[in-house]
Amino acid sequence: MAEQRLVLLGVAASDAHAVANRLIAMHLRQAGFEVVNLGTCTPLPEFAAALRLHPGAEAVLIGSLNGHAHADLRELPDLRAKGELRRPVIVGGNLAVGQASAAEAERRLLDLGVDHVLRDAVELVPLLDSLRAKVAV
Amino acid sequence: MSAPSVVDFPMAVSPAAAAALPPWPEVVRWLRAPERRHAADVLRATRRPFVQPRCGVGDHDRMLELLGALEQAGPGLLSVTIDSHTRLGRFDTAARVLRERPADLNGYPLPAHGWERGRDLVAAVGVPLEVRHGSPEARDLFAYTLASGITSFEGGGIGYNLPYCKDVPLRDSLESWREIDTACGELAAEGVLVDREFFGTLTGVLMPPSTSLACALLEARLAADAGVRCLSIAYPQSGEVYQDTAALRAITALAARYLPAHVEVHVVLHEFMGVFPRCPGCAEALILFGALTARLGGAAKVINKTTQEASGIPTAAANARGIRSAQLGLSPLLDFIALDEGLIAEECGWIQREVAELLDPVLEGGDPLSRIVSAFARGTLDVPFSASVHARGSVVPGRDARGAVRYRDFGGLPFSPAVRAHNDSHLRRGRPDLLAVLSADINHFAAGRSCERCAADPTWRA
Repeated sequence: MAEQRLVLLGVAASDAHAVANRLIAMHLRQAGFEVVNLGTCTPLPEFAAALRLHPGAEAVLIGSLNGHAHADLRELPDLRAKGELRRPVIVGGNLAVGQASAAEAERRLLDLGVDHVLRDAVELVPLLDSLRAKVAV
Repeated sequence: MSAPSVVDFPMAVSPAAAAALPPWPEVVRWLRAPERRHAADVLRATRRPFVQPRCGVGDHDRMLELLGALEQAGPGLLSVTIDSHTRLGRFDTAARVLRERPADLNGYPLPAHGWERGRDLVAAVGVPLEVRHGSPEARDLFAYTLASGITSFEGGGIGYNLPYCKDVPLRDSLESWREIDTACGELAAEGVLVDREFFGTLTGVLMPPSTSLACALLEARLAADAGVRCLSIAYPQSGEVYQDTAALRAITALAARYLPAHVEVHVVLHEFMGVFPRCPGCAEALILFGALTARLGGAAKVINKTTQEASGIPTAAANARGIRSAQLGLSPLLDFIALDEGLIAEECGWIQREVAELLDPVLEGGDPLSRIVSAFARGTLDVPFSASVHARGSVVPGRDARGAVRYRDFGGLPFSPAVRAHNDSHLRRGRPDLLAVLSADINHFAAGRSCERCAADPTWRA
């Protein structure tokens, strides 16, 4: 029997956009993942606590549509320094306020320690597969 | 030094807000000044629908520029849209981001700026302002709003809870909004009419009209019971013009049935709130279409969208252009456009029946506030795609062949067999591959439906 793959999913702390979150959960479940969905308005420490509870999770997926991704994720370096959230953190959505450059928003998130920034949810399963292949090697 | 004037305000405000704000009698004196222009006056005077944009940026000077630029486009009211940190009561985070990188805020953090700057915003433009936000508990923000001289305030204990936060109990949000509405009643007694608007858009995507109207009417009823006299009820455009026209017209009939006769009710259309086309031409067509729908449905105002909707908060220029596009849709030039009144009447009848089946069990009984809380817990009231754990979110919507929004899954809603049969005659339920079907329904307008280039290549991006 194939091993059950598990991911943590949620929306950033100041963001209540639920629709994409629900659809991505549905999409991942259809693709065979077990999804622990922490839902909307989830602060990073809540993701960290969920990872302690589900250490088998292969990645932490954070959506952000309101442009506040950077402010909502600014505790990431501190939490990592404390040994928390030691899994690939993957962020996707509308990542900056206004019509600002997506590349700049992406760079600022990567500087914060976010491992991958996605523009489109269809890239998610292929990315998870490639991360898993790397771990397996 | 005297103690903070917490007791002065007719609602509980935090000690920090009470210390920062002027005393209540001074707030009332400011609001009563004859030179103040109030949103309620604009709503009352309107003959054709007017346009109101969303607008809010973090920096104060940029906010003044934005309001000034948008005023040139001729809106009936302007908005102060509040950032999401402030909405959730995280005033300290909003203040920190304001200091460090104001452009990172997705709205105007009124409490962080303070009420004096709020008065600057009011003084800067010739049309009244409304504070639009998304706060489940908004007493402090309302106090800052009034102290700023702003007398139009959006929100309610359902529509500003379920779509906007994860875990604020409905009882808490409803009770805190009751205090806001009670304060509006006290102001009405002083001669200051506060326009209270209810966000029927809820989670904004594929909202069945009866769910939208039921939630907004419940909030309106609680507000009227608490003393509010001027009520705006907002409905989100689904994009199917018969359904939307019928829903807007149903508001007046339902208000007559469920609200006391002494309140005034204004009908508001939210331009399409779902996934917007990236193609500027298709986006502009959708904006014009929404405004035309508002005129057909007899709305007082249109909350508009912009061609940059798909990519985030718009620039001032794009926002101004959106106002003008909506004004074209409202133009008397298009008054020759009329719909089949028979179809509208039929749709309107079913919407009213569905709303009655949702509302009557809640309102026939004891304290409506408690009955609302228990109805959401049981699922006899519900919203699709709830952000909050305090609604079941087990209702699943979908589009029928015409594009009208129906119930794909009723969840626990207490509909009669007749309503169920009518709904199911439009939308076959229980189709496989829910994800694909839902995605297609949500993206109904995303690829545009109005230009040849998008029709030929839906993946084309402007």
